[in-house]
Amino acid sequence: MKMTRRIAAMCILGTCLFAGRVAHADPTPADAELKAGLSKAPVAADMQKGDPGGSITGTINDVPVSDATAGLTTVDVANQVGQNKIGINFTWTLICGFLVMFMQAGFAMVEAGLCRVKNANHTYMMNFMVYACGLFAYWIIGFAIQMGGVGSIGNLGGVAPLTTEHPFHLFGQTWGIFGTQGMFLSGHTYDVGVMVIFLFQMVFMDTALTIVTGACAERWKFLTFFVSSVLMGAFTYPLFANWAWGGGWLSQLGVNAGLGKGYCDFAGSGVVHAVGGLSALACALIVGPRIGKFNKDGSSNAIIGHDISAVLIGCFILAFGWFGFNPGSTLGASAAGCLRIGSVAVNTMLAGCTGTFGATFYMWILKGKPDSSMIANGLLAGLVAITAPSGFVNTVSSAIIGLVAGVLVCLSVSFVENVMKVDDPVGAISVHGACGLWGVLSVGLFADGKSNYGGSWNGVTGSVTGLFYGDSSQLVAQMLGIVTLMTIVFSITFIINWVLEIIMGQRVSIEAEVAGLDIPEMGQLGYPEFLFKKEDESLLPADQIALA
Amino acid sequence: MAANKSQGSSLALFMVGLTSACAGIAGYGGVVVLAIGVVLTAIALWKFFSIKPLEGKVALKSQPAVAKLGGIIINLAGWLIATFSLHMTKSVGGRMIGVLIGIAISLVSLVFVLPGACNKNAIWK
Repeated sequence: MKMTRRIAAMCILGTCLFAGRVAHADPTPADAELKAGLSKAPVAADMQKGDPGGSITGTINDVPVSDATAGLTTVDVANQVGQNKIGINFTWTLICGFLVMFMQAGFAMVEAGLCRVKNANHTYMMNFMVYACGLFAYWIIGFAIQMGGVGSIGNLGGVAPLTTEHPFHLFGQTWGIFGTQGMFLSGHTYDVGVMVIFLFQMVFMDTALTIVTGACAERWKFLTFFVSSVLMGAFTYPLFANWAWGGGWLSQLGVNAGLGKGYCDFAGSGVVHAVGGLSALACALIVGPRIGKFNKDGSSNAIIGHDISAVLIGCFILAFGWFGFNPGSTLGASAAGCLRIGSVAVNTMLAGCTGTFGATFYMWILKGKPDSSMIANGLLAGLVAITAPSGFVNTVSSAIIGLVAGVLVCLSVSFVENVMKVDDPVGAISVHGACGLWGVLSVGLFADGKSNYGGSWNGVTGSVTGLFYGDSSQLVAQMLGIVTLMTIVFSITFIINWVLEIIMGQRVSIEAEVAGLDIPEMGQLGYPEFLFKKEDESLLPADQIALA
Repeated sequence: MAANKSQGSSLALFMVGLTSACAGIAGYGGVVVLAIGVVLTAIALWKFFSIKPLEGKVALKSQPAVAKLGGIIINLAGWLIATFSLHMTKSVGGRMIGVLIGIAISLVSLVFVLPGACNKNAIWK
């Protein structure tokens, strides 16, 4: 019996050894080539001499081997290639996200510079604090609403855990409404790919939030600003972002309703800027104009900002950050179509350039001077407008889009102030709202059908093509996005802030507004050692103060 | 009343309440944590409401609620018309007209109705 067992064991061992020998006895030509390459690779002695030319650093020696007994195989090389691709895309997306985060500094300088010196600390602090408010709200729930059902993002390795989109059935079709995975980034969403997309999307969301602070500057109560920003970061922004980018109903317009490639917004003229600009309009309406902005006959007074140099430097910081905003929206630098990052970056530069020209010539020809603050807004207007189409258009189109935006922002600023009687100290409604909507529309006009991001967009095969290149249905999809922004997004923000006005009040007291918000709201002056000049009496009308 | 301790404590309570409510929705502690979060948020809102009169006079007169509500309804009607036009016709031209009508209605609300309502009793008038 013992003998039989021994023989059986030896037979099994022999079979295994034979099988192993067969497996290794016949290496593929590629494996043989790898082994030959390994034998020629630099050895430790070569490396110890240093590598000033960089020719022997980073060789076949650096490819990790999964099975030491088998040595380096083609599977090891293929795995390393895959990891390299994802590593490149992670690095690209994260660095672009860091650039976008730095835009907060630009927004702070632009907004504070366009406000009076007595409100400098308060304006800077709103821009500073909105980063924390938005980030926290987005982490606890906003990200889940926006991206919880996005499905696969191949460039980032799949983000497999984000697969649950809450559906809504209408007209015989299923439409996505909001995602549900990813609250607190816990459970299955504790994933490397999810962390990258969270960071990138979070800084976009914060950009939208910080737009509102500009329109309500110099009279918004810090407490109410805080709560309003948290609610916008948690609910309002993520909802629309889900519809456009998270697999929601606007992105399904191509698949479900045959409208082009569905709503297309490459980097967020609509999702980020129009959401921010229209929310700014809603909040500015609720908060009301500053004391002294309008006269009894409805005419308006110019309330000059305290630091135009901060405004212009802030604009340059924003323009720099925009190179993260737009090219980063490929979510990678190594995958199908991702090499368009160069094209996206050049489109971004050009639209900013022509936007600056548009505002310069408009102001110079019609008003006689190249107004600094309007030219700064012209640069931003061009950048805002090109954000949605940057990945789908050529350079000539981007120049036209920017130029139109540069003129549009000047017209819009005047319209908002003189016709709508809305007080927007920094022009946020015009720069981000009006030009954001123009950017969304321009995708439906100028997309040239040459971009190809993996052969499809929003699940529809082919490239995004606008009206001027033969697809009028894409324009309808874009217009539906516009009407959704103007109605749903605006209404949600308006109602939320109306309720906040009832519960906690939106405005600071008259005394605080007249004295400046720095001491009453923040407890510290922005510039404590400066001697302030007395404010123009026309901006402190006694009748308005008495009436209130 | 400017920024003060009551505002700070109410805000902290609001943030704790909102976080707890979200944690409950996410499945940490389930309905109990969700309920605690909702209650804490409600208390925070009540505290906000109770300290609001201490703010003193603000340079903002009352905005007529009915007019504002009317503006919002008109605004949302624009979206409904635009969206339902997709179902009404398959032709691109027909859909484009429907969406344009929706945008026009929404614009009327945004540019005229709501600013008019919010500025009806403006202090500068």
